[in-house]
Amino acid sequence: MSSDFYKTSILPFAGIIIKLCRAYTNSQEDFEDYYQEVCLQIWRSKDNFREESQWSTWVYRISLNVCLTLLKKKKNNVQHFVSDSITAEETEDNFAFSDESLNLLYDAIRKLSEIDRAVIMLYLEEKSQKEIAEIIGTNPNNIGVRVKRIKIRLKKILDGKIN
Amino acid sequence: MEKSIENIWKEGFLESDALVAPKVNNLYNQKSIHIIDKFKRMFKINLIAIVAFSFVFLVVSFFVGIPITGIIFFVTLSVLVIINKKLLKGLDKINKGLSSYQYLKTFNEWMKEQIAINKKMSTFLYPIIFMAMVLGFWFKDAKGMPLGERLVNKILYSFPDIYLIYGVPLIGIIIMVLILGLLVFFGGRIYMWDFNIVYGRVFKKLKELMTDIESLRS
Repeated sequence: MSSDFYKTSILPFAGIIIKLCRAYTNSQEDFEDYYQEVCLQIWRSKDNFREESQWSTWVYRISLNVCLTLLKKKKNNVQHFVSDSITAEETEDNFAFSDESLNLLYDAIRKLSEIDRAVIMLYLEEKSQKEIAEIIGTNPNNIGVRVKRIKIRLKKILDGKIN
Repeated sequence: MEKSIENIWKEGFLESDALVAPKVNNLYNQKSIHIIDKFKRMFKINLIAIVAFSFVFLVVSFFVGIPITGIIFFVTLSVLVIINKKLLKGLDKINKGLSSYQYLKTFNEWMKEQIAINKKMSTFLYPIIFMAMVLGFWFKDAKGMPLGERLVNKILYSFPDIYLIYGVPLIGIIIMVLILGLLVFFGGRIYMWDFNIVYGRVFKKLKELMTDIESLRS
């Protein structure tokens, strides 16, 4: 992959990828693997982009599809895809956000089913029900109900944690 | 006042360190951990291994005097490789930019198609391999006479009243038919057993995801 493509077509949307990958991983190492895999697959699929949707929507779709179908690595079979070696301590520190509420919210999101995670992430990114339905491939009428249910569930999980 | 999840989300990402992208190095050369790429890689390795094995076995079979086995192996495995190569092309067509439902559905359909085809082929493959082995050794030259014929002569010496059909003992034919029947019956199951060991977890996950999305569609 050329560094130009990464800088111009992926990096501006890194936020989207990071947010999604965080929701599907539990460690810094997995997160970095998922991030790199998403970037790789965006690059590999770039020729399929037909400009029928925005590039950001395209990035969402690929990120989500890759996260849903990635093969999670076993802990005892760890490979560093990033050249810089990361120590265990650094991994722990780097994975957490500095905002504690955000960490709790992410922990709660990770407790949801994979599809519910996708729905709530897209909702939090202020995507419309129609857009969420298009990205996931579902009926927009059901998204609103599902979001409400997920929010109640998240609230319960968060309350449980706080209390 | 307690913050809503929307506010936690918005405010959380205002921190400058929240969205720092990890370093990406030499990305294209990394081995993919994506399921489709893994399938492609494993499929290709398998096909190359089958081609190499069938070719080596063909050559060796001539040297050890069982060319029939070698030829049947080579032809059968070549058909298997050609069919699976065509299946592999279907995997290339899966577009990761589709909606999640379409993407998972396409992948699931590809999986089902390849399982169905390979399962069906396995019901023929194992019996053909068995028959190839039997025929190869039956016609193997044993001091100027086919090994099978020599074996029948020995049997006739011990059991002169044994019933023969076209020069083959009936009991031998019955055993052969039984083994072939078992291989036909269990061929598909052996394939599925093998498949589930390697991909059972992935297949289960795919099914769960599909069910979940379908519940949202209904």
